[in-house]
Amino acid sequence: MSRRLTTIAGGAAAIAGLILLAGCEIGPKDSTQTGYRGAGLAQIVDRSSIAKAAAIPPEPYPLPPDGGPTAGQTYQNVRVLQNVSTERFNHLMAEMNQWVAPPEQGCNYCHNPENMASDEKYTKVVARRMLQMTRTINSRWASHVKDTGVTCYTCHRGKPVPDYKWALAAGTQNPRSIVGNKHGQNTPDANVGYSSLPSDPFAAYFAGNGEIRVASSQALPSSKHIVSIKDAEKSYGLMMHVSSALGVNCTYCHNTQSFRAWNLSRAQRGTAYYGIRMVRNVNEDYLESLRSVFPAIRKGPHGDVLKVNCMTCHQGLSKPLGGVSMIAQAPSLVGPADTVGTRAGEAIPPAFNQPAAMTGRNEPAPTATRQ
Amino acid sequence: MLLSFERKYRVRGGTLIGGDLFDFWMGPFYVGFFGVITAITASLGTALIFYGASLGPTWNPWLISIAPPDLSYGLGLAPLREGGLWQIITVCAVAAFTSWALREVEICRKLGIGYHVPFAYGFAILAYVSLVVVRPWLLGAWGFGFPYGIFSHLDWVSNTGYQYLHFHYNPAHMLAVSFFFVTGGALAFHGALVLSSVNPPKGQEVKSPEYEDAFFRDTIGYSVGTLGIHRLGLFLALSAGFWSAVCIIISGPLWTRGWPEWWTWWLNLPIWS
Amino acid sequence: MRYQNMFTQVQLRGPLETGPRLPAGSFARGDLATYNYWAGKLGAAQIGPIYLGKLGIASLVCAFLAFEIIGLNMWASVNWDPIQFARQLPWLALEPPGPEWGFTLAVPLAEGGWWQMAGFFMSAALILWLVRTFRRAAALGLGNHVPWAFAAGISLILTLGFIRPMLMGSWAEAVPFGIFPHLDWTAAFSIRYGNLFYNPFHCLSIVFLYGSTMLFAMHGATVLATARYGSEREIEQITDRGTAFERGALFWRWTMGFNATAESIHRWAWWFAVLCPLTGAIGILLTGTVVDNWYLWAVQHGYAPDYPSTGVLDPATLSGAPR
Repeated sequence: MSRRLTTIAGGAAAIAGLILLAGCEIGPKDSTQTGYRGAGLAQIVDRSSIAKAAAIPPEPYPLPPDGGPTAGQTYQNVRVLQNVSTERFNHLMAEMNQWVAPPEQGCNYCHNPENMASDEKYTKVVARRMLQMTRTINSRWASHVKDTGVTCYTCHRGKPVPDYKWALAAGTQNPRSIVGNKHGQNTPDANVGYSSLPSDPFAAYFAGNGEIRVASSQALPSSKHIVSIKDAEKSYGLMMHVSSALGVNCTYCHNTQSFRAWNLSRAQRGTAYYGIRMVRNVNEDYLESLRSVFPAIRKGPHGDVLKVNCMTCHQGLSKPLGGVSMIAQAPSLVGPADTVGTRAGEAIPPAFNQPAAMTGRNEPAPTATRQ
Repeated sequence: MLLSFERKYRVRGGTLIGGDLFDFWMGPFYVGFFGVITAITASLGTALIFYGASLGPTWNPWLISIAPPDLSYGLGLAPLREGGLWQIITVCAVAAFTSWALREVEICRKLGIGYHVPFAYGFAILAYVSLVVVRPWLLGAWGFGFPYGIFSHLDWVSNTGYQYLHFHYNPAHMLAVSFFFVTGGALAFHGALVLSSVNPPKGQEVKSPEYEDAFFRDTIGYSVGTLGIHRLGLFLALSAGFWSAVCIIISGPLWTRGWPEWWTWWLNLPIWS
Repeated sequence: MRYQNMFTQVQLRGPLETGPRLPAGSFARGDLATYNYWAGKLGAAQIGPIYLGKLGIASLVCAFLAFEIIGLNMWASVNWDPIQFARQLPWLALEPPGPEWGFTLAVPLAEGGWWQMAGFFMSAALILWLVRTFRRAAALGLGNHVPWAFAAGISLILTLGFIRPMLMGSWAEAVPFGIFPHLDWTAAFSIRYGNLFYNPFHCLSIVFLYGSTMLFAMHGATVLATARYGSEREIEQITDRGTAFERGALFWRWTMGFNATAESIHRWAWWFAVLCPLTGAIGILLTGTVVDNWYLWAVQHGYAPDYPSTGVLDPATLSGAPR
């Protein structure tokens, strides 16, 4: 009886083992060393789980040479791209069509076909601000995007609303009650890699200037450094987001002997530092400036605009789109930094409210190239 | 010098290899064929560690560290100063540990006792081999092993753990940690129980196993008994080592993402999703 | 393969053992006892009787209250949904008060008050149980080694949940109740305080933890290996050494050059096991109070390894750094 029992037990264990293995990543792995040998600094990735670098759509047509009349001379109500040549302006419009607009609407997603200059559709107002934002990212934040730069496609990927965005969490109905109130943590949330860490790292760090650093610069306690374990959990949650969004682990940037030490960290950590400031700039000065422009479906439960985080562009890769630059086909997206001012969004609403003020002017008929 | 009762046990025999050639003692230590092998491999390994330390910047024992090769060397041999030393030391260590275990077997045979101790020690050897041989081999590079240094090996633990974002969520690690803590608790209570029987309050008599059983039945309703506690303790301790080895082998070869993310299989079970 | 004495092959059944007589006035040892075949495979087959006096009942009541407070709070946090309770259980928690409450004693229930109550009842249960173990040892005429070992473990729990938060002036430093959340606390604690691997008392505690495991493997294996000579009768081997522990001692003497005795191995065991939580508690107490960053403390004291500098500068120190 004992031998039969042993056989059954052995068989059951083997089957259980196989079932557990089915949930594993058994395929070939790629390993990269990211620090001194033997320190455990490495990226090990299962080839099949690497997010497929998004295919980049081909240009609608080749980029025209520069020169000729500017868009400001040819068209009306051009506020950001007035110095771009008309040919290249039209090329950019065709690209934006491909990168953002739903196929069934095309140009009409932003434009009134009877009056292309009109700002009556909120999408055109938003797009104008987005152009300013993109130029700012590519110039002022070259510390993060380097020469690769971004285009509308980097976030939008052919959709009017990017797949990955966030808004302030709905929150608990009654903060004074224990019912349905988890104090923003202890929930399996993809935002923090399914840990039980505080699950909204974005409000504090991507829409505000929350201090991410938690370890002290001194060995001994000081009244100048009062940071709780709770703060450390919040930072940790943010780092879980950064890791998942980039498809990397902590040692991609840090040597965990000392997380805070910059002379132990890789250059990528500096790039991430600028990336976080860039995201704050994008969210606070560009997206939130459009609060009065966006309709309710483009806002969160608290009425704040949908905002960006690392995932919006990176989508699981350490370099968005696998590091392939699209700037060559859209050079006008690298312009001078936003000189109109960070509150330019507020100049828009009166014009939006009085579209007739713009349609009285004579303007040439739309050219066929704008599709 | 011999213990008072030792002489009658110092008999010939029990060897696995070598017959009478190495069947003798040096002081209290039994030699045997495997004692010779252990002495050679352990001395060589230790000497190489000292040599490696001499190549390094310090003799501070906390800071001496012999690091494995870069990952770029894959499963090949690296130059001595670029990790090759680590590789040779590792070979010496595996040989010394295995030889030690076989020497223990010879001692068991000579004393007419079971092989439980070398069997248990085998789990420790397996844990070491898992870390520096099996896992690096599965990942394709000796450089995945841990450095031989007191604090440097802790940096390896920290960094390797953070490769999985939050290593505490590794289910095998959870099992291993639980077994470690329970083993500590059980050892405290077993040591305490025996001592409390033979060190009673002043004026009292030494007690018997009936009293030990009564203490645990009175307090928690069950006493595993004098034999059972040793079976239980061995099982708990070996389980801690076993699940530790499992938890590191699966990290990398069988799972590359963060360990919290592994738990999504539970969240997505059909019964509630 | 030969029989290795892992599982009992023949179990004896006789009258259930009632145990030594207790002093006059003890009335709480029941007579509920039974045999269990599967328990008998590994150890003794008899389950019970248990002694449940006032201390034991009080302790169990407190433990039950703590358990219910924790569980019901967790259930409430998922809107009383039983399916989500089961599904999210490993992630759920009962959290201590936030940093804004400092070390206030009676925090509103929903803001950490329930955690305080659960912590209080859990501590009460542990301390009542500790006193119970002292009483049971006294009643049986045994030494107090078990109660003192238990006290070492309790001291670590109280350090983590009460003493250190008190010294830091903040309940928020305490550990939440919850499977994954208490692991998050552990990791965040190390991140906040500059890598706990560099805390020397953390090193000591680990040495004693792994050492205890090694010792129990060694001692358990040695006894099982010599069980054929009656090694499990350790008290008798202590007072009247027999061939079991003679062979066991000689095994270790011949292997590593020294050995313990039947009694002294249990002293090695007790101290290793007890020093694990004691040194751990010291390490916890020193963190945040005396040392704020263990890596930097290690650098100052010369035991932190150097790695080649990456040459990266802190962008926040560069002029014109964005916020």
